[in-house]
Amino acid sequence: MSGYRLAAGGRIDRSRPLAFSFDGQGYQGFAGDSLASALVASGVTLFGRSFKYHRPRGLVGMGPEEPNALVTVDRGPARITPNLRAPQVALHDGLQAKSQNRWPSLKFDVAALNDVFGALFPAGFYNKTFMWPRSAWEKLYEPVIRQLAGLGDSPVARDPDHYDATYAHCEVLVVGGGIAGITATLEAAAHGGRVILIDEQDELGGGALADPAQWAALDALKEKLAAAGNVTVMTRTTAFGYYHQNFIGATQSLTDHLAPADASGPRERLWRIRAGEVVLAQGAIERPLVFNRNDVPGVMLASAGRMLALRYGVAVGHAVVVMAAHDSGWRDALALAGAGVHVAAIIDVRNVVGADLADAARDAGIAVHIGCAITTVHGRHAVTGVTFAANGTGPACKLACDAVLMAGGWTPSVHLWSHAKGSLTWSEAWGAYLPGTPIENCHAVGAGAGAWDMGHGVVTAVLPSHIDVRAQKAFVDFQNDVKARDIHLAVQEGMRSIEHIKRYTTNGMATDQGKTSNLNGLQIASAALGRPVEQIGLTTFRPPYTPQTFGALMGHHKDALFQPVRKSPIDEWATEHGAVFENVSNWRRARYFPRGGEDMDAAVLRECAAVRRSVGIFDASTLGKIEVVGPDAAEFLNRMYTNPWKGLQPGRCRYGLLLREDGFITDDGVSARMADDRFHLTTTTGGAARVLGMMEDYLQTEWSDLDVWLTSTTEQWAVIALQGPRARDVIAPLVSGIDLGAEAFPHMAVREGTIAGVPTRLFRVSFTGELGFEINVPASEGRKVWEAVWDAGQAHGITAYGTETMHVLRAEKGFIIVGQDTDGTMTPYDMGLDWAVGKKKPDFVGKRSLARPDMGLPGRKQFIGLLTEDPQDLLEEGAQVVADPDAPMPMPMIGHVTSSYRSAALGRTIALAVIADGRARIGQTIFVPMPGKVIRATVTAPMFYDAEGSRLNA
Amino acid sequence: MLEIAPMAVAGIDLKRGSQPITGAVYGLAVTLAPAAPLVRWSLRAKDAALLSAALGRTLPDRVGTHHDGIARLGPDEWHGLLPLGTTLPAVSGQPLGMVDVSARSVGFTLEGPGAVAALSRGCPLDVAKFTPGRATRTVFETVEIQIWCLAPDRFHVEVWRSFAPWLWHALAEAIG
Amino acid sequence: MILIHCPYCEEDRPEVEFTYGGEAHIARPLDPGALDDRQWETYLYIRRNPRGAHAERWRHAHGCARFFNAVRDTVTDRFEVTYKTGEPRPAGDTK
Repeated sequence: MSGYRLAAGGRIDRSRPLAFSFDGQGYQGFAGDSLASALVASGVTLFGRSFKYHRPRGLVGMGPEEPNALVTVDRGPARITPNLRAPQVALHDGLQAKSQNRWPSLKFDVAALNDVFGALFPAGFYNKTFMWPRSAWEKLYEPVIRQLAGLGDSPVARDPDHYDATYAHCEVLVVGGGIAGITATLEAAAHGGRVILIDEQDELGGGALADPAQWAALDALKEKLAAAGNVTVMTRTTAFGYYHQNFIGATQSLTDHLAPADASGPRERLWRIRAGEVVLAQGAIERPLVFNRNDVPGVMLASAGRMLALRYGVAVGHAVVVMAAHDSGWRDALALAGAGVHVAAIIDVRNVVGADLADAARDAGIAVHIGCAITTVHGRHAVTGVTFAANGTGPACKLACDAVLMAGGWTPSVHLWSHAKGSLTWSEAWGAYLPGTPIENCHAVGAGAGAWDMGHGVVTAVLPSHIDVRAQKAFVDFQNDVKARDIHLAVQEGMRSIEHIKRYTTNGMATDQGKTSNLNGLQIASAALGRPVEQIGLTTFRPPYTPQTFGALMGHHKDALFQPVRKSPIDEWATEHGAVFENVSNWRRARYFPRGGEDMDAAVLRECAAVRRSVGIFDASTLGKIEVVGPDAAEFLNRMYTNPWKGLQPGRCRYGLLLREDGFITDDGVSARMADDRFHLTTTTGGAARVLGMMEDYLQTEWSDLDVWLTSTTEQWAVIALQGPRARDVIAPLVSGIDLGAEAFPHMAVREGTIAGVPTRLFRVSFTGELGFEINVPASEGRKVWEAVWDAGQAHGITAYGTETMHVLRAEKGFIIVGQDTDGTMTPYDMGLDWAVGKKKPDFVGKRSLARPDMGLPGRKQFIGLLTEDPQDLLEEGAQVVADPDAPMPMPMIGHVTSSYRSAALGRTIALAVIADGRARIGQTIFVPMPGKVIRATVTAPMFYDAEGSRLNA
Repeated sequence: MLEIAPMAVAGIDLKRGSQPITGAVYGLAVTLAPAAPLVRWSLRAKDAALLSAALGRTLPDRVGTHHDGIARLGPDEWHGLLPLGTTLPAVSGQPLGMVDVSARSVGFTLEGPGAVAALSRGCPLDVAKFTPGRATRTVFETVEIQIWCLAPDRFHVEVWRSFAPWLWHALAEAIG
Repeated sequence: MILIHCPYCEEDRPEVEFTYGGEAHIARPLDPGALDDRQWETYLYIRRNPRGAHAERWRHAHGCARFFNAVRDTVTDRFEVTYKTGEPRPAGDTK
């Protein structure tokens, strides 16, 4: 074996070599390697450049806590993922990875100048800089900062991968598949019920994967798991968040560990798990030690060195020094030596160490230095040696080495416990918080609960040194480049709360969420503030535990499944006839039917003319419909709408206006009385659900004594609108059981019969001002009836029209569209709809508000029409209206244009608007300032065509 | 430059299947099929006995259960799923609300050991605990549905007509 | 995702099936015309917005579709109790 790969050992498969590349250079590893272990095996020490100072950085940990080795993995076109932790990237043949945050290369990074001038960039420096000159911010500071900031580069191409998502339920969920977790799973399984075990690594075992003595027992446990029929085991699955009532979010990685050619199906699956009971077995994360130049590549956690040697068969160096404050460092050193790694020395800051450990070290030929501390690390892109001294202050001793392993103690992982608001208890022995009292049905086991023998240690963050901590480059948070002196600086600047210290220094705010820096930062803050750690508290843990892809959170809401697009029963016919569509609420509706290369303007002019000349057919199926049934139906409607309903005879229709309790118009629609106790209500397309909800609210919680029920029938009925002077002629041969004569079937009436053999509720209503019908038939027969009407209409020149034409025709008649001409602040009087308000009704929803003082004040916006002086000038909807275009800016604006169209019937443009005291201004000229010109228009009544309504009553 | 699909065209080509699809979820077989056309009734009453008499049928008593084609969805709400041709009795003047909504919704059936997993892809309820006779209104992702458990591993799903293509596609994708 | 106990379905159901309905126990005045502007303003707009236990309305929109009441702690987001429309707020709550 060359380089740093040990001759034997590890769980890798040496019979399956894999080729991969890092920063364009080719390397080799084995099946079972991670990117990190394969690179270390190849002698790579330099993995990236730090966030702020661009210092050369290497691997620190071998798990999700890794702060430095963030890489970008390229799985092919548009499949570039930045900020992945190298130890968590499974190696596959052909893997392509590169380092981040450096230019032009990892070895020669120009931005390392930041490190040279590092004294100018202490914590919080940006709160005091980049302010002068102010003009330089936009052109210079911001672009440069944007270039330098961040770690990896975001992908810019659309993610082509698919993602899956699912809910799952179980009686017990165990998070963490180490020995403690597997044991808990088997115990739970014995009680019956569904048990799920998840682990973020690619195989179960946790810490035991680095201890060959436990592998046989581990295999036996895995066999028992496989034999248990009620246990589901998912590896490569990270629980990222623990939410109310035992709801866990987890992401399962399905294909990233495979070569792209072998990957099929979804890339990741989001699991939304509801568990009866949750067991957290997430283990503990080792703490680094804080000493001068502890960030030189080659300085890493002792547990990482152990994992590399025993799980992956890789030596971290040819001469390894262990700097310990904890027994586990000694155990790791002995394990390394046993695996064939040369451990030159163990330096322990404690004055007394267990005799068994000291003896074992000497037996292994490892030099031992008790009561000493490293005072500096030598080397720039790799460790070349350390200097240490007794208590950090004694005479300096130098030691050549190429790797330094830190054993700073253990922090039980309490992230998920804290998401679920479990309390934490400070443990002096661990120098960390342990799970206390849970709120959810949850308990912690194993090292994550402080229930594991890691040995003893002393809690010390910053090692003693003759160098003042403020002069040291002693790093606490590697990813965010936060040094011990920054925490002292924060306290010096007046920060007292740990939340402020965190935010001022950014300690613990990187993508690793402080997994290796929170507790050390807390210790340093405690020393600086002179207060015990438990009194300072701990910053809040928030999901996600590790970064998650947007894709996983999106699940299958992508492309065709992004959101339902609702289509009416006529939609296919419209598509076949070349309709151009628009979105209305969550529906799509035909907007116009262009013929022979027409643009929208031409199509709409033709459609409008056709309707008024002969007959047009329009799909109104998306309108909301509610069946109101019961002896108190009329009473209920009377209380809801402004109009009087009790006197409406069965077979007649009425335009209903619905207000909110604050008096403003919220919806409208024509509704029919089918029988004494049955009404067919309509609402706007976008208002259907809202209106039904509003009505149910009153019915259930205010007027529950009324015997009336509401049923949504929006999708029960297809609605075919037939409008124009020939409308009756078209349907006469198709209709049976209904007398269509003008007197027998007046405007605003409804009849039941059949059309084309299909039962129908035939409304005689018009939104166009022409003779018109709305043919309601069951939606399953909608297309059939539409086609029958279309065929029958051919002889009459029938024309299909869309929503745009519908808008123009109603505007010519001054009919409002709620939500377009109204904006939630208009009363019936504002809109000229007083006629729809029942004067004798003692009460209805919104009535009391109409009497509020403001509602009657002069200056309220009122609904009027506008005719531009230049008849071809098309006003822009939303354009502001002013009375005096020469007034100094800001000009007083008196209203805005709500609807604006080219009218075929008038041969010119028309517009509707709401302006202050609009009705009093009829006949006056107002002005609409637009970029480059001011448009003059005359205020008119909102009615442009057939004011007498003679065409309606034909 | 990032290219984003315009929302107006997302999903426009989805069609509700007319033929059964058989597949599997986590290796468990499941068939998704369009249900036969049915008569659908929305039935409302404060007095269950009155409604029962008007229909000439016994009604399920517990909210969230069904029998003989009628489910009780709420304290004053029942829903009928009955064979084509069943006529809704006409009543007037009584404190009852009876509406034919046969065309409002369409039905799917999911059958097989993988049916629960297919539904769990978008339904947050513990569907594995549903026993025959259970019926409830609920959601599949953002779409409102009714689930009726007809037999172990056999479910009838009701969805409003315009949401049906999306739901069919979502379930079809689940069973791959 | 919170589980909410629907008093009509008599079971815990996931939050996505529900819609929120604002503060509870605000009855629409029987005779709005008899109220002065200040009283009407209070009915329309003024709400307690407490920190802590809040009596509020929810609707099991995608379930039984009933409105019901709940007491929920606005700080911890925990539901303390749910009860049917028309029932009074259960005793023993801090107001």
